[in-house]
This record gives sequence, structure tokens and C-alpha cells, in this order.
Amino acid sequence: MNAAVPNPAALVFAGPTPFRLLLRIAAISSWRRLLALREQSWFLLAVIGTFLVGYLGLAFGLFYGGLRFISKFPGLGGLLVERLLFVLFAFLFGLLLISNLVISYTNLFKNRETTFLLSLPVPTQTIFQWKFVESTLLASWAFVFLIAPLLCAYGLVNHVAWHFYPLVLVLLALFIVLPGVCGAWASVTLARFLDRKGFQVLLVTGLVALVALMIFQFRPQPVTDEDLDARVLAVIDRLLENTRFANFPFLPSYWMSASVQNWSEGALGAATFFALVMLSHALFFGQLICQRLGPAFYEASNRVNSRGGLFERWGWFQARAARQIAGPHSRLPLPRSDWLDTLLGCGGVLAPDTRALVAKDMRMFWRDTTQWAQTAMLFGLLGVYIINLRHFTRQLDSPFWLSLVSFLNMGACALNLATLTTRFVFPQFSLEGRRVWLVGLAPIGLVRVVWLKFWLASFATLAVTLGLVLLSCTMLGLDAVHTAFFGGSVTVMTFTLNAIAVGLGALYPNFRETNPNKIVSGFGGTFCLVLSFVYILVGVVLLAVSSPWGWKPDMTGEFAPAKAVSSWVIFVLLSYLAGWLPLRLGLRKVATTEL
Amino acid sequence: MIELHELVKHFGDVRAVDGISLTVPRGEFFCVLGPNAAGKTTTIKMLVGLIKPTSGSARVAGFDVQTQPLEARSRLSFVPDFPFLYDKLTPWEFIRFTGQLFRMSDADIRRGADELIPRFSLQEWLHKPIEGLSHGTRQRVAITAALLHSPEVFVIDEPMVGLDPHHARIVKDVLKERALQGMTVFMSTHQIYVADEMADRVGIFHRGRIVAAGTPEELRRRAGTDGALEKAFLAITEEEVRTDSANGAVP
Repeated sequence: MNAAVPNPAALVFAGPTPFRLLLRIAAISSWRRLLALREQSWFLLAVIGTFLVGYLGLAFGLFYGGLRFISKFPGLGGLLVERLLFVLFAFLFGLLLISNLVISYTNLFKNRETTFLLSLPVPTQTIFQWKFVESTLLASWAFVFLIAPLLCAYGLVNHVAWHFYPLVLVLLALFIVLPGVCGAWASVTLARFLDRKGFQVLLVTGLVALVALMIFQFRPQPVTDEDLDARVLAVIDRLLENTRFANFPFLPSYWMSASVQNWSEGALGAATFFALVMLSHALFFGQLICQRLGPAFYEASNRVNSRGGLFERWGWFQARAARQIAGPHSRLPLPRSDWLDTLLGCGGVLAPDTRALVAKDMRMFWRDTTQWAQTAMLFGLLGVYIINLRHFTRQLDSPFWLSLVSFLNMGACALNLATLTTRFVFPQFSLEGRRVWLVGLAPIGLVRVVWLKFWLASFATLAVTLGLVLLSCTMLGLDAVHTAFFGGSVTVMTFTLNAIAVGLGALYPNFRETNPNKIVSGFGGTFCLVLSFVYILVGVVLLAVSSPWGWKPDMTGEFAPAKAVSSWVIFVLLSYLAGWLPLRLGLRKVATTEL
Repeated sequence: MIELHELVKHFGDVRAVDGISLTVPRGEFFCVLGPNAAGKTTTIKMLVGLIKPTSGSARVAGFDVQTQPLEARSRLSFVPDFPFLYDKLTPWEFIRFTGQLFRMSDADIRRGADELIPRFSLQEWLHKPIEGLSHGTRQRVAITAALLHSPEVFVIDEPMVGLDPHHARIVKDVLKERALQGMTVFMSTHQIYVADEMADRVGIFHRGRIVAAGTPEELRRRAGTDGALEKAFLAITEEEVRTDSANGAVP
């Protein structure tokens, strides 16, 4: 044996530190992921690139137009823009907190690299530091991507100096540290006291409470036409009152917004002050958890891997589990059929193998709380907004506005669905992973498995999207023809979006990865999202342009049934093509897949 | 070299490891056998410091795994049944990375690699991404990286999973050679013939306890069997199941 190991107690070594080694490994891995793009189709890369650039350009255009419009409001433009900025950063701070909490928990306690590192002579403090940095970046990159066009537009509207833009980058880098710190600290603390199920229940409860708080905070207040005509300032004052929370000076979002705003106005001293406040907090709390949370992380990791279920400790749950075991005639401890088996077995419509697959997918979705919690959050917020529309029927009495809002609602619903199908439906086939041999070799066959996933996902999501669009039509008081038009359109879109996700999921499977987030972040997932968004954009515009209700603001355009019908037919054909092609290619690949 | 003292681990109400005490001296090849849920993997996790014992202690080369984790971990290597590897790295980059984490100099890394890489027939794969390697090749990469710093204690869970007979033979030979040179091996396996062939001593785990420990011959004598170690293993574990049933324990 060669004695290559120096005494670690001395820890005197000139080589790179473990943290730097991990950083280097991550950089190499990321670079190779980028290089691997060369192996993808140039056409698809061009589509994705165009989409990304298009998003940035479109978002910038919308923000720029919107900010210019608001800033021209007589006497109050500056105030409104300022409040908008503060509210936006406050909301983004809240979203970053949730995102950091979920990602930190997964990254610290449900990650194979963490387990690997814990078995090596790497201090737990270093492992924690590494995972903290990784989680913060993972949770925040989308935020930077979203906010960049807004800040550019804000800078242009306010005619800022060139140094505003690099400064904003620095401020953003500081801003993401604090939610990262809070998320990491909260995940370690919660992991010490709650098991996975308890954590999920708390997370969902927190999200529900957050939605409830938002409903209360932003509850609509009736505004009469007289108010709008004669007392605009009073109405705006009420609006500003509801958003005053964003001006609470101890919120990090306040420091960020204040720094951005002051710098744009040339008040460099005040801007620097708020930037330094943010820097000092980021340094203090960042340093604190980076130097002190390692042992707590190890303790939490040990508890996560050592405890029985939280609920199983309570008598009621123990009794319930005992009741579920073995019917009176069974000698084996087999659970009885539950409500899902009973439901799916109703009428004997579904074949046993189909029923088994559907039940498996439904159970897996239900037991992964993070999946349905995010879904519920996305569609819950949309539902709250649509329900609130009933308060604005007086303002939405023009056919143009009614039609515009209906189209926007349908578009928003479809966009929500696209994120849902990309996040949850796309990785379904890949998630079979090492289990794919089971269904692949079963008499049911992989092709039918993919079809089943398509139908199950389509009908499940249709219940939500159709429900929301019908609710929107009801709240807006639309007649039966309008309702049928929007209902039919969103139904077509739902099936198309699911076909895109299922088809591309089968076409670009990743059987090695068990983390759905990482499967989605690959080329196939990105392409799925891009294709879905492009389809929605084209589809909604096509429908709106030819709609007899939508395009002419003054409703002077004559109703042309032939034009409307033909455009709807084109929309259906486009949808069929957009969904059929990926699904067909995916099925063909699945049929020839070698397990 | 390995000292487990009254090691206990609870998972909620479940007592997964129930007071294990064991000493494995320097250079011994110790194999752990046992049915599923016998506490083998939990014991290994406590031994390498992945989880804390509820009570008791584990020491590696004289260092307590919980109170002196860095000292203990720098003297041991652990290869799980499905080891984690960075998919985007090449085997050579991974091996070098692991050596650096163990604070080896570049010269020592190269010296160790020069010896191990040809032994495990990794030359062909050395600069190809790990993501494209078969399970067996990945397993060989993990074992190479783990042996690189010449650990004093080598802990391995199901080492033969995915290995073809040729490479399984090489792994067995290398581990045996290292054991003869003084490395302590603590191996968990379900392949009883591997334990029979390799182990200086075998410990049979059952319901969180070591119910029998000794050389393969001693276990055969205790069970009153001859021939394959499998017979002795089955006889001993069945006897334990009968004892548990007689005592009213749930099987």
C-alpha cells in the first residue's frame, strides 16, 4: 500500500479546497451540457433560440409600452411606476422564497450527490455551502430572465445613464442571496422537525394561506362610473392603499426597488445606501449560514433519514392503517381495494391493465405533493382572478373588452396548462426510468402506455382548463355561442398541448435521470415549452383575428361566417398537426425502442 | 480498525439495528450476510457517517465517526450498490476529483491511477463521458476512485452487481490483495459464494443483530452443515426465525 493520505487533522494542503473542486466540476458539467447542444438538430436549436430572443423582445416591448403609458398619467405617472416596481419586487421576493425553500429541501436532503459527498472527507459545512450556492442559483435564474426585460424597459423610459444597467446586475446578484439564505435556513429547520409528508402538508397549507391572504389583500372594491369619471384620484388612492405593504422599509424587496429607483433618478447617494443595506444583509446572513449551518444540516439530514412517518406516530393514523390491513377473510396483510380502484372499476369500462396503469399514475401524482401543490397554486390564482371578474362587469360592458378579456383568459389558461404539461406530463415517460422494462415487457406494450398517458393527462387537465374557461364566460356574462366557441377552443388546445408533451417526452426520453426538474431542463423539455408557447400564440391570434367579436374595437366589422368558420377550421387543423406530429414521432420511436 | 460498539438505530418505532458490537482488525476481509431488512445497509451507513446511531458508536482507525468525522472518513472509502458518479465527467476526471477531495497530490493520483486503471481495464473508457458507460463499467470506475487513496478501511455494498465474471474476478483479486497488504474490507453481499470465497470472517445479520460471526468453517460447524456456506446461512437464519416466532416476534 502506498501511504498517499496525509494526516487530515493537520489539513495543511496546497491543492484546491473541496469547495473549489466542486465548483470546477459543476463548471465542467455545465459547459459540456452546453456543448452537447451541438448534437441536437440545428433547426430545433434555431426555434428555441428564436423563441428566447422573441420572448425577451416581446416582454421588453410590452413592459416598455406599459411603463410609458403609465408614466404619462398626469401628475401620478411617476408614483404609479414606482409603486409598480415596488410591488413587483415584493411579489418576486415571495416567489423566490418559496422556490428556494422547495429547491433547498430537495437539494440538501433528497440528492444523491449530497449523500456521496457526505461519505467523503469533505466538511459538512463545505457540503452545505456548495448546496446553498447551487440551490440559490437554480431557484433564481428564471427570476433574472423574467426581470431583465422589465429593468431594461424601466431604464429606457426613465432615460437613465449607462451605469444603471451594470449596477442593476450587481443589485440582482445581491437580491437573490437573501431569499436563498431564508430558503436554506427554513429547509434545514423544517427538515429537523418535520418528515417529508409533514413538510409537504406545511408547504401546501402555506401556499393556501398565501392565496387566501392575496384574495383578502386584493379583494376588489366596487368602482362606479361616477367615481371613474369624477374621482379618479380617490380610486387610485384606494388602489395604492392595497399595495402599500410593498413600501415596508424592512423588506429586502424595498431596498432593491429603492436602489433601482434612486439610481434611475440620479440620487446616487440614496441608491448606494440601499445597495449597501442589501450588501450588508447579504454578507451578514450569507456568512452566518455558510459558517454556522453545516452541523445543523448534518443533524437535519440524519433526522430526515432516520425517522418513521410523522403521522404514523399518532394513534388515529395507526388505527386507520390497521383497519386498512386485511379484510376479515384474508390471512395475508393485503390492503383492501381503495376508492380509486372502486372508481376505476365502475361499469367494467376499463380493462384491468389499463385500470392498473391509470391508478398507478394517479397515485404517483397524488403522493407527490409538490406536483399538485404547484398545479393548484397556478390554477388557483387564475381561478381567483376569474371569479373576481364578476366585480368588473360594469366596466366590461363593451363587446370589445369582453371579447379581449375572454381571449386573454383563454390564453392565460393555455399558458398555465403549457407550463403544467411541460413540467409534469413531459417527464412522465422518462420517469418510468429503470421501471420501463416492466411496462415495456408487459402484454400492454409501450405504445399503449404512451396513449394511456396522453388520454389520462388530457382528460384530467381538460377538467381544469374547460372549467376555468366556462367560469370565465359565466363571470363575463357571455352567451351560449361565445361560451361554446371558447370552450371548444380550449378543449382543442388542451388535447394538443398534452399531445405535444407526451409525444416529445417519448421522443426525447431521459431514463438516467430520476429528478423530473432535470429531465424538463434538458433539450426536449425546453423544446416542448417553446413549441407549446408558439402554438398558443399562433392559435389565439388566429382565433382572435378572425373572430366576429374580437378584432374591431368599435364593432363595425361585419360578421363574416365563412371567414370565422374557416379560421376555426384552420385552427383545428393547426392543432391537429402540432399535436399529431410529435405524438406520432414519439409513438414510432417507442414502438422501436430497445429496452 | 473497525470498532462498532453497542450500535443501535431506530427509524421511528422500528429498531433497525439492535445493539451491534463488532471489531474488525486491520487487514481482515469481513463479509456481512443477512436477509433483506436485517440492518446491513443501516449499519454501513452508520459506519461511514451517513446517519447517526441512536446510541452506541462506530470507530474507524481509532477515530469516532461522529465526533471526528473528517479523520475517520479520510481513512475509509465507501462504494454503495449504485454509486453516484458525475455523468458529464470522464472516468479520469472523476478519479482525479476524488483523489483531490482526499487531498492527494497529483503525483500520487497518477501513481495510483497507473496501477488501478489497467487492473480494471478502464483505459478504453478513460476519456469518454461517464453517462455513456454501462453499469458494470461505472461500478469499476467507482471502485477505482475509492481505492485510489489506499484507504485503511474499504466498505462496499454489493460489489458484484453488474460486473461480468471477468471483472468480478479482478475486483475480488484486487480487494484480496489489498486486504493482504493491510486494508480492512467490510463487504455486504447477498452472494454467499463470494463471502465463502473471499472472507476471513463472515457476520450473519438478522433483525438488526449479529446472530453469528466467524470464519466460514466455524459457521458451517455451528450450523452442523458442510459444503456450500449457503446451507449454513439458511440453517442459521431459519433457526433465528423459529426462535423469533417462539418468542412471539412478528416475522
